[in-house]
Amino acid sequence: MTYLLLMRKNLFRHKLRTSLMIMSIFTAFAIFGVLASIERSVNAGQDIAAADRLVVVNKISFTQPLPIAYVDRVRAIQGVQQVTHVNWFGGYYQDPKNFLVALAVDPASYMQVYGNELDIPSDARQSFIRERTGALVGEVMAKRWGWKVGDHVTIANNIYVQRNGSRSWDFDIVGIFKGKKPEVDTNYMIFQYDYFDATRAFGQGQIGWMVLKTASPALNDQIARTIDQTFANSAYETSTDTEKALNKAFVAQFGNIRLIMLLVIGAAFVTILMIVGNTLMMSVRERTREIGVLKSLGFPPGRILRLILGEAILLALIGGVQGLAWAALFIVSVRDSVRGLLPQIPISPDVALVGLALMLGFGIVTGLIPALNAMRLRVGAALGRS
Amino acid sequence: MRSLLLQITALTVMNLKSLPKRFWLSLSTIVAVMFVVVVLLAFLAMRNGFQHTLASAGSQDVAMILRAGSQSEVASVITHDQVDLIEDAPGIAKGADGKPLVSPELYLVVDGIKHSSQTKANLPLRGMGPEGLAVRQGIHIVAGRMFAPGSNEIVVGKALQSEFDGLQLGQTVTLGHSRWTVVGVFAADGSVFESEIWADLPVVQSFFNRNNVFQTVRARLVTPAALGELQRYLDSDPRLKLDAKSEAAYFAEQASGTSDLIQKLGWPLAIAMAFGAMAGALNTMYSSVATRTSEIATLRAIGFGGLPAFVSTLIESAVLAVLGGVLGITTAFLVFNGLSASTLGASFTQVVFTFELTPALAAQGVCLALIVGLIGGIFPSLRAARMPILAGLYGS
Repeated sequence: MTYLLLMRKNLFRHKLRTSLMIMSIFTAFAIFGVLASIERSVNAGQDIAAADRLVVVNKISFTQPLPIAYVDRVRAIQGVQQVTHVNWFGGYYQDPKNFLVALAVDPASYMQVYGNELDIPSDARQSFIRERTGALVGEVMAKRWGWKVGDHVTIANNIYVQRNGSRSWDFDIVGIFKGKKPEVDTNYMIFQYDYFDATRAFGQGQIGWMVLKTASPALNDQIARTIDQTFANSAYETSTDTEKALNKAFVAQFGNIRLIMLLVIGAAFVTILMIVGNTLMMSVRERTREIGVLKSLGFPPGRILRLILGEAILLALIGGVQGLAWAALFIVSVRDSVRGLLPQIPISPDVALVGLALMLGFGIVTGLIPALNAMRLRVGAALGRS
Repeated sequence: MRSLLLQITALTVMNLKSLPKRFWLSLSTIVAVMFVVVVLLAFLAMRNGFQHTLASAGSQDVAMILRAGSQSEVASVITHDQVDLIEDAPGIAKGADGKPLVSPELYLVVDGIKHSSQTKANLPLRGMGPEGLAVRQGIHIVAGRMFAPGSNEIVVGKALQSEFDGLQLGQTVTLGHSRWTVVGVFAADGSVFESEIWADLPVVQSFFNRNNVFQTVRARLVTPAALGELQRYLDSDPRLKLDAKSEAAYFAEQASGTSDLIQKLGWPLAIAMAFGAMAGALNTMYSSVATRTSEIATLRAIGFGGLPAFVSTLIESAVLAVLGGVLGITTAFLVFNGLSASTLGASFTQVVFTFELTPALAAQGVCLALIVGLIGGIFPSLRAARMPILAGLYGS
């Protein structure tokens, strides 16, 4: 106890200097907290992708369609448990700036394939299968536009046209789904493919991609090969991959986000490391006499080392924990306004744990040299120095 | 007045000469400011390069015609009949042979392998007719030759070549289900066209099952003002539910999302880091004043004023910050100016761009450094100016 007291007293002897150090440590950890969370949200897709889910896309590119007849043929392949198909609809609400993600799906099979991720009330399941213009809206999207079950919404589109020339589709919201895990993105809506296909002016009978569940992840490679071979040399060749690999490749298209984040966080830390390291060194040098006194009182060198090192770690913890807390508050407050640009940004305990480890490391790195210097100090020299 | 200036100069020189005594602490301030400037410039140069790539592609006197409501080429569809009608539209320039300068084009997404990550990425394949080059300016074949009509030959944008595998001259690549030979490389003044692959329109249409389907029509206008006339013509014909916009406006729209995002990340990050660096600068300057306590007090005692003590300390701080800023600009220039990168653009395809550092961006970097230096120096300078002479002389 007295140990901690001594550290604290030493640390706050120069209040201004210490607050400035805390401020710079705070900044570094706030930057770390925010960027690490953004990075996680961008890469969340590949982390939560189930290992037994495969995605079949057109071999030319995932923007090219596949014929709907493929669904039954894939279902017949051994090891395939369930297949569903998805068609990108895109669209916007009221203004083209309000871009939203809407997918035309086969209701029953979609809810089965994504059953482990999406939490859909059972009455909503029933009405979604039953009602032709029914739509299920993700929690985040519903909150953003203030939609409730029973609402009637019109979604405009700039890719597809209806047969009657209209560019927008009407939907009745029959349910709101939640993610079973916080990382699950719920900023999208799904509606019946049959309704979409029957009303669109072109592209009938085409789907965007298929998602299938295999009996076991061990069968993935073999099943993927079988599917691609089945459709080889047809007008629509396929490319089958795990959902994880696909998500990873998609994120990689934006560039190496992880590397950019690492470089920025690295730059912030090197900066703070130099500032705090130097200041701590200076502050210990100023205390040479006192350390001499402590030594002459019989403090063993190891204890002196721990005292100074503890001081540095305490400093890092004070600044760092506050920085991380601020980052969490910041994320919560801006989360809604960046929804269009980034997926759900989670506040994850992992980031906090890595942050804590960084704080300990930071404290040790900045405190080690001054602590060693203090430990090696000779009493005579220390007391002799003015 | 003159004596005041002399005092300031004398004190400033003295301060700067004593810098080596506080070497490590001063260096940490310089390095801190340097990193702030490097991070800021990295984002600004990225945004600048991206924007330049798209902006330079757009020409004011080329009209882009897309299906009404389409926001990118991929989402647009135009039929053969519509193309014929557009060719008769008013306001369109005629070529030497008397034919209107109209280029119907098909824009498809194909897979390429990104060199840096070896992952699949979307590349744009553009099928264009004989007028394709006539409606564009500044396109040069820098190696090889143009594709021959009716053949499965492609020409590849210069920027794509460096970022993607298998696109060297003479190589054969598989796009879709068919094999194509690279016969030429073209440059387009660094614009987004350099991120594209071009081939003969009818060949692309037949290989990708898109017979008689087009996505956009580009038309060279007599004058930029003729765009209004063209749009009125489109509006008057019920068969033409199409939008015409200038190519420049189209690409400006395409650029805005990504470059806004980069900017929205860059400045707040740099400002957050600047706060950290500012704390560092304050610390350095406070200790600089502290170590010079008796020195300053002595000078005050022999008649130097408070103002010179203030100004000279502020200058010291500013010098350190500007030094850091200049170092940051140099680092940025050496490390990433001209660096090539690619990202996903608004058309769902890769856009290759280079980081571009301009004097204007460098000036923003120095300004930020100076702000850090001045704010970080002002309080310590006040302390120096207000120091009680006697207490200073006896030491604290």
